[in-house]
Amino acid sequence: MSLTENDLSSFLRDDLGVTDAVDGNTELFSSGLLDSVSMVNLIGFIEDKASVNIRPGDVTLENFDSISRIVDYVRSLG
Amino acid sequence: MTADFDRNMWELLSDNLPVRAGKTALVDKGRSVTYAELAAEAGAVADWLTARGIAPGDRVIVHLRKGISEVVAMFGAWKMGAVVVNVNVRWTAVQLAYVARDCRARAVILEKGATGALVGDNTLSLDTAFLLDGRAEDLPSGADAWRALPTSADTPAAAADPSSLAMIIYTSGSTGLPKGVMLSHRNIRVGAISVAEYLELAEDDRLLSVLPYSFDAGLNQLTTMMLTGGTVVHQPLTMPAEIVRMAQDQAVTGIAGVPPLWNQIVPLLMETPTELPALRRITNTGGKIPPNILDALPIVFPNAEIFLMYGLTEAFRSTYLPPERFAAKKGSIGQAIPNAQVFVVRHGVGIAQPGEQGELVHSGPLVSMGYWEQPEITAAKIRPCPELADVIGDAPVVWSGDLVRVDEDGDLWFVSRMDEMIKTLGFRLSPTEVEDLISQSGLVTDVVAYGVEDPEIGEAVHTAVTLLPGSDEAALTSYCAKVMPHYMRPRHVHAWQGTMPRTASGKLDRPAIISAAKAAASEMAAYSTADKGS
Repeated sequence: MSLTENDLSSFLRDDLGVTDAVDGNTELFSSGLLDSVSMVNLIGFIEDKASVNIRPGDVTLENFDSISRIVDYVRSLG
Repeated sequence: MTADFDRNMWELLSDNLPVRAGKTALVDKGRSVTYAELAAEAGAVADWLTARGIAPGDRVIVHLRKGISEVVAMFGAWKMGAVVVNVNVRWTAVQLAYVARDCRARAVILEKGATGALVGDNTLSLDTAFLLDGRAEDLPSGADAWRALPTSADTPAAAADPSSLAMIIYTSGSTGLPKGVMLSHRNIRVGAISVAEYLELAEDDRLLSVLPYSFDAGLNQLTTMMLTGGTVVHQPLTMPAEIVRMAQDQAVTGIAGVPPLWNQIVPLLMETPTELPALRRITNTGGKIPPNILDALPIVFPNAEIFLMYGLTEAFRSTYLPPERFAAKKGSIGQAIPNAQVFVVRHGVGIAQPGEQGELVHSGPLVSMGYWEQPEITAAKIRPCPELADVIGDAPVVWSGDLVRVDEDGDLWFVSRMDEMIKTLGFRLSPTEVEDLISQSGLVTDVVAYGVEDPEIGEAVHTAVTLLPGSDEAALTSYCAKVMPHYMRPRHVHAWQGTMPRTASGKLDRPAIISAAKAAASEMAAYSTADKGS
């Protein structure tokens, strides 16, 4: 039911094919590392893994632009 | 605004300098430039190209994320008379290398992080000049750092002939390798003049640019603003919430989108209504918006005029539906834009009459110069139309390959790509018709319908869908049984896992989706045969 930074970095590497080094604070979208198709896949992964429902209005840079922001956001959903 | 067709791309920018040098031309998230600053930065790039031995007419690849730098690079190339080849940053290293070789690019301007794209198997010829945007240290040998360029020496611009080649737009066709569509300075300028006229764009407009500049409609936003002296606001992110926020923060007056973008933005705005008081108009191109999203557009954008448009890269832009007809003709692509001649032709018969269908053909000053170094494909796609001999003589037309219907007012309705029509049970069925009905089910986000050869009924209707949470194939099948005549009902529903692939301009990549869904279906058929045998 929980989502860790490790889960996300493995998903980026193994499923989204990100080859650059990514740490918790690497900018994912504003840097251009991920595109809109990756975004949808990432959301699907998070919803499954953390059993949460992500509202479209929550998909912002504040919540999604780095692995640590995503973990914080998912935690805030309780 | 000048309606002079015979000005080149550099002049499209520089004509603004005597009248609005200090006005903001372009806005990125972190910075903006005036017309004078844009021209000066482009001048520095032009000087670099010249210093590296690039000559007028040489091809220069621009491979940068949407932003001021991308526009600077394009106008830098145009200033010294080179031909711009803008390759979308979403294209792979293999595609980029293919395009660079095909057009024999002499220079490539790209982000520093993207140079991996051009080593190893994808290495370009040794005399290619590279200009890298980004950190200036650790550059590959032979490459120059954009940040280290001297300021523009105010070199006079090359006087490019307006009828000469300005840009090559590579399109990834449904079959084969990408082909380069050649646009002249005049093609692009007439496109700007025509679209600015019917959208009534003016100096106080601020257009939100989400669509890529490697796509005709995206490029057209930039060129209309340069023509009218307006401002372009760049949004490289495609997160719907970020697009809406940028539109609000920057008080944009226009948003241009393609159907998959509206499919994301409209549900967001339904859930979280957002006031966009500055917004005057929204425009769609690149395909039909599903009916449920179309119905919601006037609700979520109550103060905006809605323009539905249609264009072919080979003829830049072709038709539009005036916003006052939107409510009555929701989904129509309307009629020819100013300066374009658009006809609907029944092969071997003549011009289609109201109520009839035929192929859309386009003639006039927007017709492109054809495909780069592909004279045979050019001759097949752009040639005179015997059915129009009495009207336009032997002037070349672009054969769109799109089947459209003409209504009683002469407005056009997209029916299907001609090669995608499904022939089933003696009916000729448009996949769009199936897709529209399935979109309205509320069970799916994306749907693609296609025909699969069937010995008994000609072709069977198959669909690939992305199901919404909580719905399944059985629910969709029973919905189809309720709303569709028997010949239209899908014989097979392929539940697509994850997101359907998109083209670089954001449209659904139909050929890729169809071939993957067909492969999955035949694999399943093979398993079930094997089961029976065991």
